Amino acid sequence: MNKPNLMETVEPGSGQYSFRADLRLNRWLAVAVVLHLVGQYFVGHRADWSAFLRATVALAPLVPGLLYVRSWVGFVRGLDEFQRRIQVEAFLFAALGTTILGAAIGSLNAQKVPTGPFADGMGLGETFMAMLCLWSVGWGLAKCRYK
Amino acid sequence: MKNRLKELRAGRGWSQGDLAEQLAVSRQTINAIETEKYDPSLPLALKIGKLFARPVEEIFSLQE
Repeated sequence: MNKPNLMETVEPGSGQYSFRADLRLNRWLAVAVVLHLVGQYFVGHRADWSAFLRATVALAPLVPGLLYVRSWVGFVRGLDEFQRRIQVEAFLFAALGTTILGAAIGSLNAQKVPTGPFADGMGLGETFMAMLCLWSVGWGLAKCRYK
Repeated sequence: MKNRLKELRAGRGWSQGDLAEQLAVSRQTINAIETEKYDPSLPLALKIGKLFARPVEEIFSLQE
């Protein structure tokens, strides 16, 4: 029988961590982050660029972002049914949490309440970081629930 | 749902890891089933029944 994917192989410090498995799963995230940072720099420093070029550079991280999603979908599909349930719960927690957070920041901004670095709303990077943090929390909660 | 998985596994002298390997699931899944925190899907329950050569209802039963 085929061996299921194990979350522990991509969880540093779990004892079964595999750098290879982690790299295979998260390589597109690294590409997306690099493109995002490079894009931020260029969009900020090249005001003379056309709107089309600026939009292309700003949205370029979405391509590796989609490939990253594809890697995760494949990985989650290879998990066994129990691990998959935990991940679905964690992803749902992250998606709903990020939506609520974005809506809350939008409401605060509309009421002119200072929101610090989120005065212009949540950008691509902030949204991703919020999802990542909330997914970690959701994963931890789901693991505790079934312990 | 109640189950006798732990008892049946112990009867064969298998660890949770041994059983997990035979069912192609993770050890955590076996642990969650044994502690009754998780009810397996019908295909997995049938696989467990087949592995132990017992009807599913002899291994799993509804809690009164």
